[in-house]
Amino acid sequence: MNKRVLALVCAAVTISSVSCVSQNTTQQVTLSSEQAAEAVAEESAAASESAEARSEESSGAETGGQLNLYTWEGMFPQEILDGFESDSGVKIDYINFDTDETMLAKLQTANGGDYDLVIADDYIIETAVAENLVQKLDASKLSNYGNINPMYQGQFYDPANEYTVPYGAGVLTLLYDPSVVSLDIKGYGDLWDASLKDSVGLIANYRVINGVALKVLGESFNTNDLDTIQKAGDKLVELAPNIRVIKDDALQNDLLSGEISAGIFYTSQATSAKLENPDLRVVFPEEGIGFGIMAGFIPSNAPNAEAAYAFLDYILDPERGARCFEYLGYYSTFSASDPLISPEYKEFLTLPDGFNSDMEMIENISAEANEKHEQIWTAFKTASGME
Amino acid sequence: MKAIKRDKRAAIAAVLPMYIFTVAFIAGPLIYMLVMSFLVRDESWGITNELTLRNYLHILEPVYLETFKQSLRLAFITTLFTVLAGYPAGYFMAKLPPVWRGRCMMLLIIPFWTSSLMRMYGWIIVFRANGSLDSILMALGITDKPLKLLYTYPAVAVGMIYALLPFMIYSVYASAEKMDWELVEAARDLGASRFRAFLTVSLPLTMPGLYSGIVLTFIPSMGLYFIADILGGNKVVLVGNLIQEQLMRVHDWPFAAALSVILMILTTLFLFFYRKLSHSDKLEGLV
Repeated sequence: MNKRVLALVCAAVTISSVSCVSQNTTQQVTLSSEQAAEAVAEESAAASESAEARSEESSGAETGGQLNLYTWEGMFPQEILDGFESDSGVKIDYINFDTDETMLAKLQTANGGDYDLVIADDYIIETAVAENLVQKLDASKLSNYGNINPMYQGQFYDPANEYTVPYGAGVLTLLYDPSVVSLDIKGYGDLWDASLKDSVGLIANYRVINGVALKVLGESFNTNDLDTIQKAGDKLVELAPNIRVIKDDALQNDLLSGEISAGIFYTSQATSAKLENPDLRVVFPEEGIGFGIMAGFIPSNAPNAEAAYAFLDYILDPERGARCFEYLGYYSTFSASDPLISPEYKEFLTLPDGFNSDMEMIENISAEANEKHEQIWTAFKTASGME
Repeated sequence: MKAIKRDKRAAIAAVLPMYIFTVAFIAGPLIYMLVMSFLVRDESWGITNELTLRNYLHILEPVYLETFKQSLRLAFITTLFTVLAGYPAGYFMAKLPPVWRGRCMMLLIIPFWTSSLMRMYGWIIVFRANGSLDSILMALGITDKPLKLLYTYPAVAVGMIYALLPFMIYSVYASAEKMDWELVEAARDLGASRFRAFLTVSLPLTMPGLYSGIVLTFIPSMGLYFIADILGGNKVVLVGNLIQEQLMRVHDWPFAAALSVILMILTTLFLFFYRKLSHSDKLEGLV
């Protein structure tokens, strides 16, 4: 009898540990996917929406062709997707990826085919262009092309604006709760202040946080100089006593619950925190800010590039663009949409006037520099745990 | 003669699927990982065909050695506390009447019906500012303001102990349950005190259970990185966390592979010592 009980126990343990491991893997995948994915995690409806979109597509694919849209889950409000389908007669097949890397791998396998429009992060687009997976954009086919904010154009991944249309920008947002912080936070450097002991939260992106330390030292995010990166690491270790938590997943909840009182957030997290508690203060750091851009491109062998142009032009419309950015919770990359964004979002979805100097993007760096970054990051996290 | 040959063939046909499975899904990935740990990473992501020892030398950097030290330390603390709590629990459970033994066993199994990830999120509710623990402490007047309990080392340790305690209890119980209690009575009859009878009779007889309990807690505690993530706020960096980050963020697969190989060597060494110490190659009650 006893053997049987034990066998049962073993079975239960095995099953639960297996299920735990698999759950955990999916969890980690979600965590590690870049800014956009976590913005969207809250949109529980999105999954069913895209499922709906797909089932609709299968019933009426023959009318007006099909747009194979490949991006993160929940990048567009459902009205926009529905509106485009009924206006153009093109059916949208909304296909999701979790991480930029998955997208690149799929695109490589398909040799630049299968998908008509891909929206992904800046650095991966640089790689995709280098691998000839992206076709040049014919701007004359986009009547609303002029609505794009030039500040988000000509960036490292597409210096001559040949391939992409920016769709949403994320800024590393410094956010704090003035009701518990006596300090007037003006820049990243203030996070080192002793009064913030054990009360700072950070997103878990090592290039971003190491980059903040580099900025405080007056250096570039993208330096390949190992000594400079090491200096940033030493600077970060000094920040360790103030660190309470480092995580990507729903960091804003820790600020709202009072677990932390200041921190560096993804734009989408700052947006959802501000909507919940308007008294929180958003800071544009005096050291200058870094941002990441999501952009759309047409793969080199897209089966229906015309549909991609039609869709890009559709969302480039100022009014529709504004709705998209409000839904997305990222900075508007269409200047024509800026004035149309509702006041409650305006403060954190558009940049203040004149704030376009000192901007730098996080770009791909050499393997050695990346290794050094990873090393100072591990040292920093370990030091934070020792406090 | 022919019949024997046919039997042999049938036997091969019967075990073949198992061999294929083992080679394809266990040996294959292991070899893949081992080979990868000697390769050079590609500039952005992926690997190149160049061979190197760099990944292993890389582990010798103080910051990564520290990760191994931290992992071993946490595994040691976890194991110590699971022994302290789990041994008595398993031992006394075996002394209960059969009906109650069954009920206790049930109570231990029920938590496994939910994912361990879920149960860790449950601990957040206990530990967070103004959470259950804070409320109780403040209601009792022990503290007057919320403590910062979440995202600390003790929180991680509690999560680990909680996750692994049942394994210790099962193993000790399995051992104690098989024990011949008449031996203890004999010792008592011959004048041994309760404590002495425990030390000289019960403890040695339940040692195999204790050993396997230690193996079943120590080894997994080296790998349960998500507990350090969730309850430690990413500040307790274990080897598991490092491997995960190398894979998912840094895209340095060869380094992640090298770390995994070293971790596997460590656990193998641990199993080797277990066999030396316990003079057994079986895990009590579980194999």
